[in-house]
Amino acid sequence: MATEAAPAPQPTQGEETPLLHRFLEGVGGPFTFVGREIFELIRVFALTFFYLFYRPIRWREVVRQCYEMGYRSMFFIAVVMGFLGMIMVMQTGLQAQKMLGDLSMIGALFLQLLFRELGPTITAAMIAVRVGTGLAAEIGSMVVTEQVDALRMNDAEPVQYLIVPRVIACLFMTIVLTCIAMVISFASAMAGAYLMFDLNPRTFYNTDLLIWGDFITFAMKSLAYGIVIPVIGCHAGLAAFGGSEGVGMATTRAVVNASLGITFVDFALSAFGFVFIY
Amino acid sequence: MIGGRLLALMEQLGGMSVLAARMVWGLVTLRADRTEFWRNMYRVGVKSFPVVAVTAVLVGAITVIQTGQVVAEFGATSLVGWGTSFATLREIGPILIGLMFSGRVGANNTAELGTMVVTEQVDALRALAINPIDFLLAPRYLAIIIMMFMLTIIGNLMALLAAAGTAYVLLGVDMRLYYASFAELIELWDFFSGIIKAVGFGSAIALVSCYFGINTSGGAVGVGRAVNSAVVASAVSIFVLDFLLSAMLP
Repeated sequence: MATEAAPAPQPTQGEETPLLHRFLEGVGGPFTFVGREIFELIRVFALTFFYLFYRPIRWREVVRQCYEMGYRSMFFIAVVMGFLGMIMVMQTGLQAQKMLGDLSMIGALFLQLLFRELGPTITAAMIAVRVGTGLAAEIGSMVVTEQVDALRMNDAEPVQYLIVPRVIACLFMTIVLTCIAMVISFASAMAGAYLMFDLNPRTFYNTDLLIWGDFITFAMKSLAYGIVIPVIGCHAGLAAFGGSEGVGMATTRAVVNASLGITFVDFALSAFGFVFIY
Repeated sequence: MIGGRLLALMEQLGGMSVLAARMVWGLVTLRADRTEFWRNMYRVGVKSFPVVAVTAVLVGAITVIQTGQVVAEFGATSLVGWGTSFATLREIGPILIGLMFSGRVGANNTAELGTMVVTEQVDALRALAINPIDFLLAPRYLAIIIMMFMLTIIGNLMALLAAAGTAYVLLGVDMRLYYASFAELIELWDFFSGIIKAVGFGSAIALVSCYFGINTSGGAVGVGRAVNSAVVASAVSIFVLDFLLSAMLP
C-alpha cells in the first residue's frame, strides 16, 4: 500500500504541530480506528438482520452460494483438518508416553478437545481464509467496477441483493463443514494413533469424557463463527474503494478482521462455557 | 479432471521452486535492494505487531481455559504451567501466529505485488533495466522470514504471560507456582523447536505470497483471486509443514 510509505520523518519546520497534539493523536488514533471499524460492522450486521426478516430472500442465490462456499472449500478444509488430527495425536501421544506411560485416554481427551475448541475454531479460521477473503474479493471487485452502483440505480439494495444470501449460505455451510471437518479430523487421528503408537481404534474411540455441555459449546461456537465470518467479509468488500489496489486492501482487511473476530468470539465463548456450563 | 488439477499443482510447485532459487540467488550475491529491505522490515514487523500481540494474549488465555477443567478436576495445579507452556511453545504459538501473520502480511504482500503487476509497474521496472526479483521480491522474502522469527518469540512471551495471568484469575494458581513448573519441566529445546517451525512457516508464507502476487493477471478481479489463493495455499503449507517438522524434530 502506497499510503503506508508516505509518513516519512518530517523535517522540523516552523509550522510543526505541537508535541502534545501529536502525542494525543498517536494515542487516540488506534482507538478511533478500532471503534469506527466495530461500528461499521455492527451497521452491516443490523442491515442484514433487517433485510433478512422484512424483505424477500433470493433462495436460488443462497443455493448457488452454498455450492460455491461449501463444496468448493471442502477439499481444502479436509486436508487441513486431517493434518491437524495427526499433529495433535502425535504431540499428545509422545508426551503421554513420556510422562504417564499410558495412552488409553488419548482418544477421549482428543474427542473432548475437538468438540470444545479445535473443531469449530480451526475450521472457522480456515473458512475465514477461504470464504471470507473470497467474499471480500468478489464484492470488492463489484464495488470498484461500479456494479454495486448499478444495482442501486436499479433500486436493488446491495445488502438485500448480495449480502443476505451470502450470510445465510455461510451460516449453513459453516455448520455443515464443521461437522465434516470433525469427522475427518477424528478419523485421521485414529489412523495416526494406530500407525504411530499401535493404539487400537476401539480404545481410541472413547466418549467417556464427552458431556452435553460440549455439544452446547460446539453449537454456540459454530453459529457465532457462521455469522461473524460473512458479515466481516462482506463489510470489507463493500468498503472497498479505488481500483485493483482497493480490492487487495479489502481482502487483506477481511482476513485480518475475520481472524481477530474469531479469536475474540472463541475467547468469549470459552470463558462463558468454563463459567456457566462445566 | 484429477489429472488437470495435479498438473496445475505441479506447475505451481515448480514455479515456486524456480522463484525461490532466484530470490535466494539474488540475496546471496547481495544484489537485493537494501533500502527496500529496511522499509519492508518496518512495514512487515512493526505494523503487524499489534495484531500478533492481541492474538497471542487471547491464545494464551484460551489455552488455560481449555485445560482448566482437567486441572480443577484432578487438582493438578502444579502441572498447569508445564501443560500450557509446552502446548504454546511447541504447537499453538507458532501455528496461530503463523496463520495471523499469513493473513496480515502474506495477504498484504500479495495484494501489493498483484496491484503492481496489473497496473504494469513491474513492466516499467523491467523497461528501466531493474530486475523485479532483486528489487521487489528478494527483500520482502528475507524481511518476512526474519520478522516471523522475531514476532513468534515476542508472541510466545506474551502468550505465556497471559496464560499465567488467566491461571491466577480463573484457577487460583499462584504465578510463582506457574513459573516454577514452567522452569522445571520445560526444556530449552521446546522453545527452539517452536522457533524452527516459525522460520519454516515464515519462509512458506513469504514464498507463496510472492509467487501468487507476481503471477497475478486480469485487473481488479485478478488481484482479489490472487490474494484468496495465496492465503489458502499459505494455510495448507503451514499445516503440512507443521506435521512434517513435528515428525522430524525430536
